[in-house]
Amino acid sequence: MSVKITRGSFARPGTSLQFDTGSWRIQRPQHRHATAPCHAACPAGEDAQAWLALVEQERFRDAWETLIAANPLPAITGRVCHHPCEAACNRGNYDEPIAIHHVERLIGDMALEEDWPLPPSQTNGDPREVAVVGAGPAGCSAAWHLARSGYRVQLFEALPEAGGLLRSAIPPYRLPAAVVERELHRLLARPGIRFLPGQRLGRDFDLDELQASFAAVFLSIGTQRGRDWSIDGATPSDLHVGLPLLKEWMDVGAIPTWNSVAIVGAGNTAIDLARVLKLSGVPEVHIISHKAIPGPGVAPDDAMPAIRREIEQALEEGVVIHEHRGVQRLILRGEQVIGVELVHMKKLPDAEGRLQRVAFEGTESILHVEQVIPAIGQVVEPEGVQSLLGQRSFFRVDDRGCFPDHPRLFTGGDARGDRGTVSEAIGDGRRAALAIDRLLRQQAGDPPSPAQQPIPAEQLNLNYFETAPRPRVPVLDVARRASFAEIEGPLDTRQALGEGERCLSCGNCMACDNCWTLCPDVAVLKTREVASDGSHYLFDYGYCKGCGLCARECPTGYIVMQPDL
Amino acid sequence: MSQDKDIPLAELRRAQPRFSGFEAGHRACLGCGEALAARLVTESAGPDVVYANATGCLEVFTTAWPESAWRVPWMHSLFANAAAIGAGMEAALKAQGRSTRVIAMGGDGGTFDIGFQALSGMLERGHNVLYVCYDNEAYMNTGIQRSSSTPHAAVTTTSPAGRERMGKRHLKKDIVSIVAAHHIPYAATASVAYPADLRKKVRRALAIDGPTFLHVHTPCPLGWGHDSALTIEIARLAVQTGLFPVIELERGGVAGVMPIREQRPVSDYLRLQNRFRHLFADDVRAREELEHLQALADHNIERYGLRPGHEADPLDTEGADTVKRGGVR
Ligand SMILES: Cc1cc2nc3c(=O)[nH]c(=O)nc-3n(C[C@H](O)[C@H](O)[C@H](O)COP(=O)(O)OP(=O)(O)OC[C@H]3O[C@@H](n4cnc5c(N)ncnc54)[C@H](O)[C@@H]3O)c2cc1C
Ligand SMILES: Cc1ncc(C[n+]2csc(CCOP(=O)(O)OP(=O)(O)O)c2C)c(N)n1
Ligand code: SF4
Ligand code: SF4
Repeated sequence: MSVKITRGSFARPGTSLQFDTGSWRIQRPQHRHATAPCHAACPAGEDAQAWLALVEQERFRDAWETLIAANPLPAITGRVCHHPCEAACNRGNYDEPIAIHHVERLIGDMALEEDWPLPPSQTNGDPREVAVVGAGPAGCSAAWHLARSGYRVQLFEALPEAGGLLRSAIPPYRLPAAVVERELHRLLARPGIRFLPGQRLGRDFDLDELQASFAAVFLSIGTQRGRDWSIDGATPSDLHVGLPLLKEWMDVGAIPTWNSVAIVGAGNTAIDLARVLKLSGVPEVHIISHKAIPGPGVAPDDAMPAIRREIEQALEEGVVIHEHRGVQRLILRGEQVIGVELVHMKKLPDAEGRLQRVAFEGTESILHVEQVIPAIGQVVEPEGVQSLLGQRSFFRVDDRGCFPDHPRLFTGGDARGDRGTVSEAIGDGRRAALAIDRLLRQQAGDPPSPAQQPIPAEQLNLNYFETAPRPRVPVLDVARRASFAEIEGPLDTRQALGEGERCLSCGNCMACDNCWTLCPDVAVLKTREVASDGSHYLFDYGYCKGCGLCARECPTGYIVMQPDL
Repeated sequence: MSQDKDIPLAELRRAQPRFSGFEAGHRACLGCGEALAARLVTESAGPDVVYANATGCLEVFTTAWPESAWRVPWMHSLFANAAAIGAGMEAALKAQGRSTRVIAMGGDGGTFDIGFQALSGMLERGHNVLYVCYDNEAYMNTGIQRSSSTPHAAVTTTSPAGRERMGKRHLKKDIVSIVAAHHIPYAATASVAYPADLRKKVRRALAIDGPTFLHVHTPCPLGWGHDSALTIEIARLAVQTGLFPVIELERGGVAGVMPIREQRPVSDYLRLQNRFRHLFADDVRAREELEHLQALADHNIERYGLRPGHEADPLDTEGADTVKRGGVR
């Protein structure tokens, strides 16, 4: 092209736009939503990143609605969940993880205080009915998700009230009865859910009837039978078993006050029972655990399965934990227990590589106690479900919770055996509801799972964040703890907003303008309306040269470079 | 794929919520720090400004005749005379009684070297002009020749590393001190890694009556030998190491600094750039030069008091680039 330049020639403003620098590109930036680690780690399937972003904008009600799209019981899980989200949180690599469970509890409580109604179904009603048996967290979650998808749900419960172990076993010092009551009441009152208390499977109806009358069935009956326990065939004559004892205390508010007790077990029941006994005035409470107190350097499979915070608080309250110890012998005077012989134990691989408990000779010791209480776990009560259980202690099902040979029959929660927490039970209820929905709509394949590879901290650009401390909640002094007063207090609203702000927004655009500010080629354009990918920016590929700067500098890892030849 | 077919890009481009004095379609290399800096400067200066631009990359890549990437009155004449042209424009505007501001600008060659006397004259005569130097530390437009701004030990085509020398023998000229020695009201340094700070300084300088100077550190992927995606990372490291101190001088005295919260070793900065690759060879001279550059960084930190106080400063090297959800940076 030859252009004659004459005296007084000038170029018109912005005419470089005629030139297509996009043709230089060999790679292109693209927006990519990645799963945040908190989301991937949540057993209930909550996307904390998404609702924390709304919290940051002071949109608490929207945050709550986003949260309950996965978990209808946030005031409960905010108190009792072991919050693996926080262990996974990328902010932990920077300063301290986001206090996700505290914020969850706050917005759960807000919803109760302000009486926010559960949002209506996303779809038109479906006349088909699904039966849910057992109204613990698994069953309640399944009922909620099925109702949201438009199905009618009949929720059968053996006891007069819903809640399962939430109501019957988890002590009020960490889960007040009023919270359970209000959160469950809201759920059970939702249109589409019909709650039928006092209806026990195996007594009032049977499986065949259910399968004949309902489009699908979800069994969430938990584990109602204690494991057998004896030491070389011996049991104390006045045997008390952990969970029933705890449930009795929950019911009547009183517990025998012995002088000294040894509880055998390492789970939540052992810890809660020990704390209840201690708070009720038992001077000496021991826990005999095959496993170690969790802490740095303790392998996860060697750690006590109880929630770590509860173990820590039990120790503060004066409970004595004997780690890696087993009961070798009951010391009896007549039929009365007066002590136990303990021995050091560990799980070691045997010749086939299977872990077996090994007791170490020469490490025996004597502990004098008035009572030995086993709290070694529960199994599924076979009555009414014998045909599904066979000889096993728990149900065996696929990932979705579906029984082999019974395509319309599902289970989840503690009855699966590989579970044991409230949030897993809630997640199972959700997954089974999704699978039932797909089944009834005759969609092929598994429901989409959110648990893709979470975005690692290395893919964020942490230069753009400032360190800030994680907020602390008020905790009752040990001296002031009593069995019915909640030990941990709430976050205040200001602290919650701060946590929203501290969240790194892993894998999701936070509209920070960084790419828009830093593109040397003016190839990132800002939109007022939200673009279809949920961000506020568009790449103008007519000019983007593919330098990769925006992707490198994006604080949240939301931009990736793709080959573009 | 995340592109919205239904939002027309050309329309959207016209409706951007910021002043666009510098458009797309320019011919700068991928990841060009100078292009970014020029965009940020025009954006912050706003519409009522005329520009005089020295010969150099910025001039060349924005004005492939008959096109122009500028949406502001802009003029180019020679390599050496941007300050003189700026001074003339200012005098003319003043004679017409107009309040339009003038920005003169050039690369480090056009500022530290060949345009230096014109710059000194403009400052000395007290013209009401902001002079912006885009410092990419060599004559990039003609193929990476050393300038008096090229850092010690950096390789350029005219300061190669070899048996005789480890890159450039001489030191980087301390231009901002020389400029400030004209007793002007405001002279400052800034970096593309800290755009909010840069914008603030442009506005500050334009609000002052009298000659002002802004020295912007702008990495050059081609000349420095680094990946185009690393421009900001490298600019940030220059500041975090102390090699490029971010400071403000008023009437020759230090009036403000960006403290370094966590000083990074200079090798973190140097390692990412081919122009310093020879410093990582197994060679006693290389080790000595690395120490030399570290000492220069430490000297800057001491000289300008860049060590942080007890409290973290929200405007220090870690705080000054903090982003917020929905926040205009
Ligand atoms: C003392 C204790 C403390 C715990 N603390 C925590 C904690 O802090 N955090 C945590 O995450 N988890 C904790 N857990 C575990 C948690 O409570 C369970 O994992 C969870 O409740 C399992 O839920 P689910 O719905 O599967 O079963 P469940 O909660 O056991 O509910 C089962 C329901 O089914 C009903 N049902 C049973 N059989 C029938 C039948 N045949 N017909 C009709 N209805 C029937 C039951 O009455 C019950 O309501 C604790 C457990 C205990 C025992
Ligand atoms: C008097 C004169 N000498 C030499 C040149 C050739 N020339 C054009 S641009 C340039 C280098 C510009 O370097 P710098 O000012 O650092 O700007 P950069 O290109 O690096 O942005 C040179 C030497 C010229 N245009 N005029
Ligand atoms: S920083 Fe936010 S998004 Fe990232 S893992 Fe933690 S809570 Fe989730
Ligand atoms: S840089 Fe900021 S605005 Fe751009 S995509 Fe990343 S998070 Fe979103």
